[in-house]
Parts: sequence; C-alpha cells; structure tokens
Amino acid sequence: MTTLRQRLVPYGLMGPGLLWLALFFVVPMFFMAWFSVSSGSLEAGWSLTWTFSNYTDAISNYTTQFGRSFLYAGAATIFCLLLGYPLAYAIAFKAGRWQNLMLFAVIAPFFTTYLIRTIAWKTILEDSSPVVSFLKTIQVLPSDGRVLATSAAVIAGLTYNFLPFMVLPLYASLERLDLRLLEASKDLYASATQTFFRVTLPLTAPGIIAGVLLTFIPAVGDYVNATFLGGVNQSMIGNVIQAQYLVINDYATAAALSFTLMIIILIAVMLYIRFAGTEALMGDEEEASA
Amino acid sequence: MTDSTWKRPATKIAIAVAGLAAALTVAACGSTGGSDNSDVPTAPGGKASGTLNISQWPLYIDDKTIDEFEKATGIKVNYTEDVNSNTDFFGKVQPLLANGDSGGRSILTVTDWMSKKMYDLGYLQKLNPDDLKTVFNHLIPSLQDPAFDPGRTYSIPWQSGMTGLVVRTDLAPDIKSINDLFDPKYKGKVTMLDELRDSAALVMKADGVEPSEASTEEWLAAVDKVKGAKESGQIRRFTGNDYVQDLAKGDVVAAIGWSGDAVQAQADNPNIEYVQPEQGCILWSDNMSIPVGAPNSPAAYEFMNYVYEPENQAQIVEYVNYISPVTGVKEILTKKDPELANNELIFPSEKFLSKCSNQVSPPGDDAQQKEVENAWLSVVEG
Repeated sequence: MTTLRQRLVPYGLMGPGLLWLALFFVVPMFFMAWFSVSSGSLEAGWSLTWTFSNYTDAISNYTTQFGRSFLYAGAATIFCLLLGYPLAYAIAFKAGRWQNLMLFAVIAPFFTTYLIRTIAWKTILEDSSPVVSFLKTIQVLPSDGRVLATSAAVIAGLTYNFLPFMVLPLYASLERLDLRLLEASKDLYASATQTFFRVTLPLTAPGIIAGVLLTFIPAVGDYVNATFLGGVNQSMIGNVIQAQYLVINDYATAAALSFTLMIIILIAVMLYIRFAGTEALMGDEEEASA
Repeated sequence: MTDSTWKRPATKIAIAVAGLAAALTVAACGSTGGSDNSDVPTAPGGKASGTLNISQWPLYIDDKTIDEFEKATGIKVNYTEDVNSNTDFFGKVQPLLANGDSGGRSILTVTDWMSKKMYDLGYLQKLNPDDLKTVFNHLIPSLQDPAFDPGRTYSIPWQSGMTGLVVRTDLAPDIKSINDLFDPKYKGKVTMLDELRDSAALVMKADGVEPSEASTEEWLAAVDKVKGAKESGQIRRFTGNDYVQDLAKGDVVAAIGWSGDAVQAQADNPNIEYVQPEQGCILWSDNMSIPVGAPNSPAAYEFMNYVYEPENQAQIVEYVNYISPVTGVKEILTKKDPELANNELIFPSEKFLSKCSNQVSPPGDDAQQKEVENAWLSVVEG
C-alpha cells in the first residue's frame, strides 16, 4: 500500500513544470484559438464571431509560402542528414582522442547568437565573395548569377543553423551502438556496406528520427534565414505570420496561420513517425526484449 | 473509456494541464474591446526631478547630451534604444498601452503616422503648451501645423528626414528618378524599403500622383507596379536599415533609403550618395510623445525643452545628421562646423525640398487602409 504522501510526490515533482506549461503554452494557445475565429481590428476591438473563413482565407492567400516553408525545411533536413550522419559517425568511431574537441566544435557556433551567425552568411555569400566567384569559375553559376537572395541561400542558411540539432542525436545513438554486433556481422561474412545498411543504420534509426524532428520542425517555422538570406520570392510562412502580427496587426489572420501551420506540422510528424518511424522503433523494442 | 485510461500517467498530466489552463484562462480573460481617444488626459507639468525613461531609435543622439542634461537638471535618465521599427515597437508596447501602462516610459519616439495611430487609439497624452515654452519658441514654422496634429497637441518633432534614392554613384551614375529603379539594366541590383508609406508613395510620385491626394486605387496601382518589378526579378530585396550594407558591398547599386543613413554611410564610402529623386522625396519626422500612464511627465517636459535649446540641439545634429526641427541651429553650426551647416541633407534649402511630400497613410476608413496594407504585405512577403 502506498501512503497518501507517496502518491502526492509525483504531483509535487510535476507541479512546477505543469504550471509553466499551462501558463506559457496552453493559455496562449487558448487565446490564439480565440483570435483565430474572431473578427475586428485593433481600433475597433476583437470579438468572437466564429469566423472560420479566417482559416480558408489564410490558407488560400498564403499557399505558396506554406509550400515553400515545407520545401525549404525538407531540403535543409535532408542536407543536414547527409552531412550530419557521416560527421556523427566519424566523431563516434574515428575521432579517437579528438572526439571531445570535435564535439565541442559542433556546439561551438552556439556561443554566438543565431542572428549574428545568419548575418555572417550574408558576407560569405555576397555577390563578390570568394565562394560566389568560385561557383562562377566552375560554371555552377552563370557569370551574372548570385547566391544571396535566392532559395539556395535560404536552404544553405537553414542547413547550417540546424546541423548541430541533427548531429547531436545521431552521435548519441551511434555512441551507444554495441560494437560487438558489428563484429558479429563481420564474423557472419557481411561486407562493410552490408553491415552498415543492415546493422548500423537500423540500430541508429531512433537517432535519425530524433534528428529529423529536431531539425525539420523548427526549420519550418523559421523566418530569420529567409529575412536575411532570402530575396523577394523567398518568404516563408514565419515571415508572413510575423508581418501579420507586427506590421498590419491582423491578429485573426496571424492566429489562423499559426494554428494551420501547427496542425500541418502535427499531421506531418504523426505520419512520419507512423510510416518511417514505427518499423525502426519497433525493431529497437524487439531488440531490447529479445 | 476504460478505467485504465484514466490511470495512465499521460492522461493524468493532460487533464491536470488542461484544468490548470482553463482556470488561468478564465482568470486572465479581460476585455478585448477597442480603444479611442475621447478621454485622453493632458500630461501634468510641474517641478521636474526623479527618473526619466526614454524610448528612442538607435544612433539618434550623441554621447554627451544625456550626461549634460542629468548634470543640469538632477534628473536621472534611462535612455533605451528599443525602437527599431514603428510597427515592431507598436506590436511590443500595444498590449501595455491598451491597459493604460507605459511600461515605465515617459517619452517614446515614433514616426508621424504612428504618432497619429497611437493618439487615435488613446495611447498618447495631450501636451500642455505652457510647459513647453522653449519648444514652441524654437520649433521651425514648417513643422508647427502638420496635417496629422495641427498645433502640435501631442507630438513634438525629434528629427526629420527625407526618403529618396541612396545610390552607388560609381556603379549607377545615371540614376536620378525613382523610375530609373525599374530600368532593366539594374535588374536584381536595386532594393526598396519595406515601408508602404515610403516606397509605394515614392513610386506613385514618380508617376505624377501626389500621395496625400491619392485614392485607394492609385495606392493599389503603385503597389501593383512594385509587384511587377518584384516578379520580374528587378527588385532584389525589401529592406529595413540593412540596405546600407548591401550598397557598401556593391551587391546593390541603388536603393530607396533615408537621408541620414546616406550621410553616415558616405563617411565610410564616398561613393554612397543620397540623390534627391527628380519628382521629389518623402518628408517625415520622428516625434516625442508622452504615453498614457507615463510616470514623471514634468521631467519629460523638461527634457523636450532642453533639447530645443539651440546650443544643445546643435550638439545632437552634429552627431545624427538628420534635419533638425529647431531654429537657430544652422547659425551655431556655421561657426563650429561650416561643412555640416552647408550640407543640403541636414539643412535643406526650400528649393531642395520643393517637390517633396509629407509622409501620409493610404486614404479612407479602416477597411480601405487595410486593403492597401494587405496588398503591400503580399508583395513584400511574397
């Protein structure tokens, strides 16, 4: 039998966290939901009119920006994975005594603010920069082309800024990998490639899933990269929401856009975990129970 | 639902959070009604002392004036450069001001149209001219009766400026008119400000439409023209102050920008120059106001009077390089710094400004204004 006191302990531990969540996440969500079906203006005040057309208007007016956000975030996530996996693999298995230094190097950019790092990319990609001249020399870019203020610049910025969020979970799951399983694979005459695809990759799937979610979700809502590295046709949905709130003070449209974005992300993430995720996660569970 | 569902920890947490949130929402749900300015108070004057909190734009004062003001008056000043854009600042302070709270600010500084918007919403107090004797003795005549605030009842100019062309004269020597920004020769090499009241207004002026007399349709036509140039790749970006860096690097050869920026940028790169558009510029002022709920308004009056003393004002103008609203400053600077006193961007002649228009908002009621603002937003955030 548990005493009352024992039963209350979990609530005591959860309490501060719950209060925090309720105050700063759930309450604002209620207000946002309220605004998203309201009508009015700052001058006249807002009233709850159950105007669901806020949603249809918001979606039909800004379909392009929604599509663009998912495209950019998706591309950045794929690039992060392609760059991050070999990097995490190298840090986990090949770095030797340099391991800690390399991990530190992955985290080091966080010592500078996000904004400054993004603005630094403006200098890296400016029209007369060595990077751009090089791209022109090898004819990837036409001689009157530019990188800054294009989609490529925004995706490059997102990839750069979110790379650590991909590398760290990948590193954590690679680090935990039982090396005896790799030996066993070799003993059973699997080639290095076979070992990688049939042992290493499946066992680190939880790390990949975590990395993809940590990269993709914040990247979809990002607006800093598009602001500084994008041009006139690179606005993401975050830029639209920011402008709706702060420039024209249309809280209803802004709230409807925010909710729509949230719901799409939620659905996308659930589908992702269901289709891409369960197999890997279940495989892991079977492994554990075996 | 089975009993076991209720015992699952996740369910318990969810219920606890939802319950708590519901309670807090009920507690927090206040009025969200609109506001107007029917009962705006007049800020009281009197003997000044204590602490004065000022919200101002960055790089808008020299580094000596505040210290000297503190020494001369015994008032302690907290001078905060937290106004980066009219709209962002408004978004930040609006929830406070709507509840009659200024967040401790006794003076805030915003541009003409935003001053009017704030006053119309009842966020700014009226000013008592008897407490502003120095200000009204030295305010230049052209700024005494602006259309948005005749007789200056709630706004006192801090500095004024021009919106026009900022050009790399070495890379684009032939740009003289806003229409030249649409020349295919400069495709992808021009930027515009993301401010509707600057960029769209200049574009319509270039086509012979006076912004203060323009109809909603004429505003929409100007927005549409910008939209075409954006879609063809003519316009590289819509910017805030950051166009100066693009110009310095040569990524951009001509921009719609502000005169004071040009004076400051020219000091670093002599090829960056303000060019008065052939069809004229947009003139604006940033104004000091006392918000509702402001503590210590006597100190705010004292500060306004202090910066309107020509000697004190000259010191500010020497640093900020915008147009001063105070009489007698040019005479002082002619002795101190003749080059500055002869700069048309700081002391423009009537001829230099002859074709310029005051900055205005689109016409009509709320819905009509919103139509133009939404159209502009969909261009800028396309």
